[in-house]
Amino acid sequence: MKRNFQAKIEGLQQDALHIRRNVWRALHAAGSGHMGGSSSSADLLAALYFHHLRLRPNEPDWPGRDRFVLSKGHANAALGATLARAGFIEDVVLDQFYAYRSTFGMHPDIKMPGVEMSTGGLGHGLSVGLGMALGARLQNLDFRTCVMLGDGELQEGSNWEGAMAAAHLGLANLTAILDYNKVQQSGHVGEMLTLEPVAEKWTAFGWAVREIDGHDMAAIVEALDALPLAPDKPSMIIAHTIKGKGVSFAEDTYLWHNNMVTDEVYENALRELALDGLGATE
Amino acid sequence: MNDVQSPGLVRPDWERLAQNQSRLAFGLAVAELARRDGKVVAISADTIDLFGLRGFLEAKPDRLIEAGIAEQNAMGIASGLATTGMRPILCGYAPFITARSLEQLRNDVAYANQRVVIGAACGGIVLAMAGGTHHAVEDLAIMRNMPNMTVIVPADARQTWHAALQTEQLAGPSYIRLGGKFEEPPVTDIAGKGFRIGRADLMRPGGDVTVIACGCLVAPAIATSDALAGAGIGVRVLNMHTIKPLDREAVLAAAAETDAIVTAEEHRISGGLGGAVAEFLAQERPTAMRMIGMPDEFSIVGPTARVREHYGLSQQAIMDACRALLA
Repeated sequence: MKRNFQAKIEGLQQDALHIRRNVWRALHAAGSGHMGGSSSSADLLAALYFHHLRLRPNEPDWPGRDRFVLSKGHANAALGATLARAGFIEDVVLDQFYAYRSTFGMHPDIKMPGVEMSTGGLGHGLSVGLGMALGARLQNLDFRTCVMLGDGELQEGSNWEGAMAAAHLGLANLTAILDYNKVQQSGHVGEMLTLEPVAEKWTAFGWAVREIDGHDMAAIVEALDALPLAPDKPSMIIAHTIKGKGVSFAEDTYLWHNNMVTDEVYENALRELALDGLGATE
Repeated sequence: MNDVQSPGLVRPDWERLAQNQSRLAFGLAVAELARRDGKVVAISADTIDLFGLRGFLEAKPDRLIEAGIAEQNAMGIASGLATTGMRPILCGYAPFITARSLEQLRNDVAYANQRVVIGAACGGIVLAMAGGTHHAVEDLAIMRNMPNMTVIVPADARQTWHAALQTEQLAGPSYIRLGGKFEEPPVTDIAGKGFRIGRADLMRPGGDVTVIACGCLVAPAIATSDALAGAGIGVRVLNMHTIKPLDREAVLAAAAETDAIVTAEEHRISGGLGGAVAEFLAQERPTAMRMIGMPDEFSIVGPTARVREHYGLSQQAIMDACRALLA
């Protein structure tokens, strides 16, 4: 059993590595993009799509599917890479990032298979996810809704309206995951407008809260397996992550929130994200 | 959208209960829609009594979500509900549901093209005494610039009932502007005969000048036509209850068959009904026009009737405009 779990974790780590490589690939195709927040969310997305969420990639509108909303829509390169790996979209779509008439722009577009809501304006996803969770309850459906939030995004007040309402309604079928990479466009979140004490805030708003290392795949899987964290409350997983995770020159700096990706930068990045890093071959 | 008429009056007492108030007619229509379709769910932004939904809440407590005074969240919830196949009807104050939650309205509802019906009570200067914070005189300009959105300004409570019921047939989002806590004179047919979203009502025929009006300006437009008929002036009156999509055919016919056009609306001159008509005719058939509406200023405080008069939202102003165009 333990060996199976270890194999599962290693498989998910491979998924995350592929997502990160394809994030760089998409940004290279576009010439630039939101590297930092895409890479920080890759492990979480891998665990969600290849372990937790109940989905049918060949039937993207299956009514019983779990819903995932990427509220921090600027990480769309990571979502696209994930959807391609899951089989919702063709792999070649990743080369059409920002392209003319592409459904794969900087931010998620509901017209792309597997995308549940067009996002990009910050502070929208939690309320929309709340509506989805409510829709499940009102129709006696058992699908679960998961919303990924950015840390800078929580500076938008609308999130706190949603936080208050989800707890008031006791929506245990709603989970928020905070990709807490500590960096926003112009600097460190703590210096710009701090969220702290963020766990206490969500607890005070009536959510069940767990904090994890958002790059520890076993911890991510265990947290997702523990959902809902309380039987009558929405769940908040605060995932401590590193902006730009996986490529040394892009880590923990606002400079890589959104940056140019030249041929040289791309090659250097892929060298650090070598596929044999975990013993896999391709 | 198809040609289906509003079904028969399933609640014969709806008109009495609406008390000639469009906000109450809308609330009654919410209950009727919920009776017909188990997917209908109302969302209140602390507006239960404004829409007369207290009885509905008691009858169907799980079909009314109270979002509190939090319009941004309410709008997002509506969008999320719609993605799951529910039919959310958001009941808000016109000045807040358009401005406070504008980004949610644009991104989550219009851009994502979700079937959300927005009922906006206290449109225009219904709350004139409350001051500029509570005046919704740019809402039509905003809504008209939302792709996918249908924009309706019913002329009275009767038309509100039929318009709300016909939203069942819309594939995308819609915005219905409503009045406040006072009576609106009934001017349309109680059975909604001939009413169709997107098609103007011909209220009076006439061959000299056309008044294209919406909402509370339809009644004075009709009075204008009746008054000028005695002077031998034929004033055609169109009740343009649907601002978007505009009934271009009716506008074009008016431009072709009468000499001039007056538009009348309780809204700023820019971007509303007059703007829609002028933008269209300037390209298709330039026509002499006068636009009755409000100027580029924050409107004054006062009793609604008095403030309407102050801004020339009146029969007198419509008559003067008709005469000026024909002189």
